[in-house]
Amino acid sequence: MSDITVREKNKKISQAKRVTLIINGEQRNLEIGHLPHQVETTHTLLHTLRETLGLTGTKLTCDNGACGSCTVLMDGKAILSCMTLTVECGGKDITTIEGLKDRDTGALDPLQQSFIDHTAFQCGFCTPGIIMSAKALLNENSTPTEVQVKEALSGNFCRCISHYQVVRAVMAVSEGGA
Amino acid sequence: MNEPYRYIGKATQRNDAVGIVTGTVQYLNDVKFKNLLYAKVLRSPHPHALIKNIDKSKAENLKGVKAILTWENVPDWKGGTPGVTRILGRRLRFVGDVVALIAATSEEIAKEASSLIDVEYEILPAVFDEEEAVKPGAPQLYDEFPGNIVTPGFPIFGPKCLTAIAMGDMDKGFAEAEVIVEGTCGYANIPNPIPPEPPGAVALWEEPSRVTIWVSNQAPHVDRMTLSEIFGHEVEIFTHGHPVGGSFGTKIITWQVQAFATLLSRATGRPVKIIYTKEEHIAAFVLRPSSKMHARVGMKKDGTVTAVSGKWLVGTGHYSMTSQAQLAVGLGEVQIMTRCANWDLQTDIICTNRNASGSVRGFGGQELKCAFIPILSRAMAQLNLDPFEFIKKNYIKPGEGYFWRDGNWYIYRGIDYSEAMDKGAERFGWKEKWRGWLQPSAQKGSLRSGVGVGVHGNADIGEDTSEAYVRLSTEGTVTLITSLTEHGTGQRSNYVKMIGEVLQLPLERIFISASDSVIAPFDFGPVGSRGTYAIGSAAISAAEDAKRQLFQLAAPILGANVEDLETVDGLIFAKGKPEQCIPWIATGHDRTIMGYGRFDPDYTLANCMTTFVEVEVDTETGKVTLQNVVNATDVGQIIDPPGLEGQLNGCLGSSGIDSAIFEETIIDPTTGHILNANLIDYKWRTFSELPEIDNVVLETPISSHRFRAIGVGEVATSPGPSAILMAVSNAIGTWLHEYPVTPERVLAALNKVKSQEHAGGAL
Amino acid sequence: MRSFSHLNARTVSEAIAALVQFDGRARLNAGGTELFGALKDEFLPEYPEAVINIKSIKGLEYIKEEKGHLRIGALTKLSVLSESRLLRERYGALAEAAHAVAGPQIRNVATIGGNLCQDVRCCYYRYPRHIGGPINCARKGNGPCLAVNGDNRNHAIFAGRKCFAVCPSDTAVALALYDAQLVVVGPQGERQIAVRDFYTPIENLLQRTEIVREILIPAVTGTVTQSFSKFALRTPIDFAIVSVASLITLEDGICTDARIVLGAVAHNPHRALEAEEFLRGCRLDVEVSRQAGEFAIREAKPLSKNAFKIQIAKTLVSRAIFGQPAGFVLKGNFSETTSSTQMCSGKH
Ligand SMILES: Cc1cc2nc3c(=O)[nH]c(=O)nc-3n(C[C@H](O)[C@H](O)[C@H](O)COP(=O)(O)OP(=O)(O)OC[C@H]3O[C@@H](n4cnc5c(N)ncnc54)[C@H](O)[C@@H]3O)c2cc1C
Ligand code: SF4
Ligand code: FES
Ligand code: FES
Repeated sequence: MSDITVREKNKKISQAKRVTLIINGEQRNLEIGHLPHQVETTHTLLHTLRETLGLTGTKLTCDNGACGSCTVLMDGKAILSCMTLTVECGGKDITTIEGLKDRDTGALDPLQQSFIDHTAFQCGFCTPGIIMSAKALLNENSTPTEVQVKEALSGNFCRCISHYQVVRAVMAVSEGGA
Repeated sequence: MNEPYRYIGKATQRNDAVGIVTGTVQYLNDVKFKNLLYAKVLRSPHPHALIKNIDKSKAENLKGVKAILTWENVPDWKGGTPGVTRILGRRLRFVGDVVALIAATSEEIAKEASSLIDVEYEILPAVFDEEEAVKPGAPQLYDEFPGNIVTPGFPIFGPKCLTAIAMGDMDKGFAEAEVIVEGTCGYANIPNPIPPEPPGAVALWEEPSRVTIWVSNQAPHVDRMTLSEIFGHEVEIFTHGHPVGGSFGTKIITWQVQAFATLLSRATGRPVKIIYTKEEHIAAFVLRPSSKMHARVGMKKDGTVTAVSGKWLVGTGHYSMTSQAQLAVGLGEVQIMTRCANWDLQTDIICTNRNASGSVRGFGGQELKCAFIPILSRAMAQLNLDPFEFIKKNYIKPGEGYFWRDGNWYIYRGIDYSEAMDKGAERFGWKEKWRGWLQPSAQKGSLRSGVGVGVHGNADIGEDTSEAYVRLSTEGTVTLITSLTEHGTGQRSNYVKMIGEVLQLPLERIFISASDSVIAPFDFGPVGSRGTYAIGSAAISAAEDAKRQLFQLAAPILGANVEDLETVDGLIFAKGKPEQCIPWIATGHDRTIMGYGRFDPDYTLANCMTTFVEVEVDTETGKVTLQNVVNATDVGQIIDPPGLEGQLNGCLGSSGIDSAIFEETIIDPTTGHILNANLIDYKWRTFSELPEIDNVVLETPISSHRFRAIGVGEVATSPGPSAILMAVSNAIGTWLHEYPVTPERVLAALNKVKSQEHAGGAL
Repeated sequence: MRSFSHLNARTVSEAIAALVQFDGRARLNAGGTELFGALKDEFLPEYPEAVINIKSIKGLEYIKEEKGHLRIGALTKLSVLSESRLLRERYGALAEAAHAVAGPQIRNVATIGGNLCQDVRCCYYRYPRHIGGPINCARKGNGPCLAVNGDNRNHAIFAGRKCFAVCPSDTAVALALYDAQLVVVGPQGERQIAVRDFYTPIENLLQRTEIVREILIPAVTGTVTQSFSKFALRTPIDFAIVSVASLITLEDGICTDARIVLGAVAHNPHRALEAEEFLRGCRLDVEVSRQAGEFAIREAKPLSKNAFKIQIAKTLVSRAIFGQPAGFVLKGNFSETTSSTQMCSGKH
């Protein structure tokens, strides 16, 4: 490849000093550094949400990409915040479980209400992640089939087996065409 | 007919529902502490070793490190049953055993410090297999346990704690038998329940001798009680419970984690938090005990079991905390499912160089049944007996008895579960699907279907004690004061329903205290299936006591007798005269009415879960697919339908049915490392692979408490594993006797793969 | 995670420059779904000084057809591949393979480049530092292979040497089927490596200063039937025990060309050449497919605990050839395609 010029070879890219992202509709401008209020380059988005910003609704279970309890929305899609570096989230729009309520009225999202109505949880530890995965699905497809719901939630671990009640809760919203 | 209730039996919103769906429920790791330090554990790379030398100077110089503890600078505190395991010892007994504890200003610093500690080990020979461990010359884990056999008996269960079943006349029993089979079965895959929330604790030590511990356990009083034995009674211990992100019986005792935080706080004077990683959770917390049984069983053509003799080996890993208790309960439970007059069942608990086994739902009984039912099946097969009919015939009936965990004989006074079993069989279509032993229920191409059935029941629904306070505020609100935490069953909300029913008060006016051992009275916690009957009884009687006190104050005002009074929605009136009513506050705005309730153990009732499964086996790949499950039970009275459904659906996960299909802990046979200590390699069921589950729940009133209900949550996992083994054996026409039924084992059983070594037993 | 410097590369050359700058002690981060697992568990002998984000490179996310080739940018996400209509219609095995990776949240960020360059999943190799690890072994250049006498249920059944870990990538299996090439760029310029040759028993052929820029697939022509099936203990979130990709050309019921690649059985996607040759000229039926299955595993040499993989491989191959859909395979896609050279975008 010819486009590696000498100039580029010698030019060192430097580390970013800050990262700006939107979390639950609010712009956050985070400094990168080693002080407690700052974001380390090694911090995952999960760590930043929970430890730096106090948004503890997003849960840590495996910290290894396998369980989905840290699921948040990034630009509307479900992603794992434990496998995402905060410093790479510049310009992204992040929604966590805390951001699902209606920002003006404080009313629960119909999906959250449906989880309550169907008791679609037991210990509840996996629930925020499951709700976020379901939300991502409904964002793309407001009338999913049961198979599509299961597929969309297939990356979420629930050890209590709330699955059956969860599928019903999501389908109830789906049928409502929310 | 059950009487109609205002709340009981109806679906009501759980009182933590909004918190759960909005992410505001505060699990332990969500709570903020000021001035907090973070702990990490340096763990042993060897399954058995002595620490020769530890050099922590490099680690101590790392900025942010506040304390490093090793066996040399901690008190000689010991845990276990009996208490022989030091919190930090010089001797390490499994890969992952604790070498050093570090507290630092961040988790990362603590972790880095752990990698800067230099340790010199003297490597000792290790033993991983229970049968090897008891042989002469095997490596010994403890001086106190010669032959690696753990001291039998669980002290809390009393001096006669069940350690064997011995009764009747064995010669006579075997003489009466029409068939006698002998075999060995069990499992070595030691499933792990792995709740999502890892074990953890935060501790704050205050000089001279008080420690406050924030726990994520089921029962803060049990934590306090356990730690008091370990720390010594001169240490004042406060425990604050938090909602538990799943337990499945494992978070009843977390003494090591709690002790780690305590010691580090004692060394630093600051609050210290320790939260295990998922890898530590799987490799260094609690596994199900392993189980292997060698037994000889005599049976008659009509399904009567005439004699059972044999030995049950329970593997407990590097130490035991509750294995003796599990063994005792398991021995009780096996009598509940198998009526037999002649028993000689002996036991041993064996320690080996692996992560410890401990308390897990199914508590002994699931472990024993996984081994025993396949042996019974062999006898049934020889007599061509339908296992469903066998189960129905042999499950305990009113008036029959059993030795329970304390070694005493109890007469069962509950209901006959035959009707629930019949209804379940009908729903499942057992009659149509059962084609005889080793016969598939259907086949298509290379696919074979098979059915199996299992049963489990437990007299622990009334075990141990519970206490509760119900406080009435005369403005018309009520607070339940209990130490219980919510761990997923919804029971904290159910007690509110029970109290609401007793006091006829809107649920919105009934509050529940924080879960702590500081003020709330004693409770053994939601272990076994005791939540509904045992704990429920304490809450109900506390509410009744409070009501009685209220009526005593109201009676003179209304000019009525206490017995004639009623209360609805915060108003008191004489029966039949609701128009002449007074509000609670008329008894005085400036008073507290505190009702107290207590439940004392009752071992004369048992629950029962029968589980039917149908699997499909691909004989060309060995893949086993669970197609359909029917759970059949009778709960007396449903308290909360969706809550109950959740509990029954739970039969799959947390080392239940799936521990017979794909769940297993893989231990390297020579190095002792747990090779799948993560959620990718430890398999769990996903949303994509849900079988159909049908729950058949009957409501035949049971003489428990005023709502005539009993709990069944814990036992949902237990009948499934042996049922799966039965179903797969039937599907492929040959006996499987090892868990889980992986493609590898199924193909080997079908002779489609060169035979390989087997970990479990042989029949 | 332990500390590292972090850089955002804006171009391929910036990424290479950064790799050069750190003299190989830096790691590229695409989706991060494998990389951060490795960094968190600290099982490798070396910890990188820097992580170089390559998601910030514009223009590496595409699926394009041109000049008899399908070109896929290295940063193309697996979810995009699995949903691409073009792929679904004409490169069905790849779409299925992409869909078979991990779970939905991972596929939303994981890239094909990362999928191909991921490290092996051997349980000894990946044993985490913080619970009494890491474990040294031949692949780390330190000691023997522990799998040989240990738990090797998931290891290679073909051509093992020194290290018996299998290539974990699902997309590599489909790409090997198409004879795809990796376009790799480094300080010395650009080179192409066939996916099939990319994996050696102890590492892949990527230099520490190189980056995969693109995947180049020769256009699939003629009437072909392709399939990808993955056998795992469960769906999803599971690596293959065995997978099979196949591409069969039929004329009047006679097989004129066959390509069969087995996954998770060797250090590389394993081409079943004998089976392919056997199939050429055959009229496909149950018996022929059974025999092809036998040919596919003839050279297999299992370790102590993984002989069962042979039976599964055999079954998957014969089913791929003479499809018996019903519930055998975890994922399966059988698409009839006639190739054309129309330009087409990957998104829909
Ligand atoms: C729970 C779980 C389940 C999984 N299941 C599967 C599965 O079923 N099948 C499967 O195949 N994989 C699976 N994986 C592995 C992995 O997530 C995927 O392979 C994924 O596609 C990796 O892509 P990525 O972009 O996230 O890679 P990254 O993590 O970003 O990178 C992986 C490696 O490749 C290097 N790399 C990335 N891009 C390039 C490039 N363009 N040039 C050179 N080097 C590069 C990185 O430096 C790193 O070493 C799973 C992972 C997890 C956590
Ligand atoms: S298979 Fe390879 S990675 Fe695994 S232990 Fe052997 S050498 Fe190491
Ligand atoms: S915590 Fe992120 S996937 Fe498990
Ligand atoms: S509700 Fe407990 S893990 Fe899902």
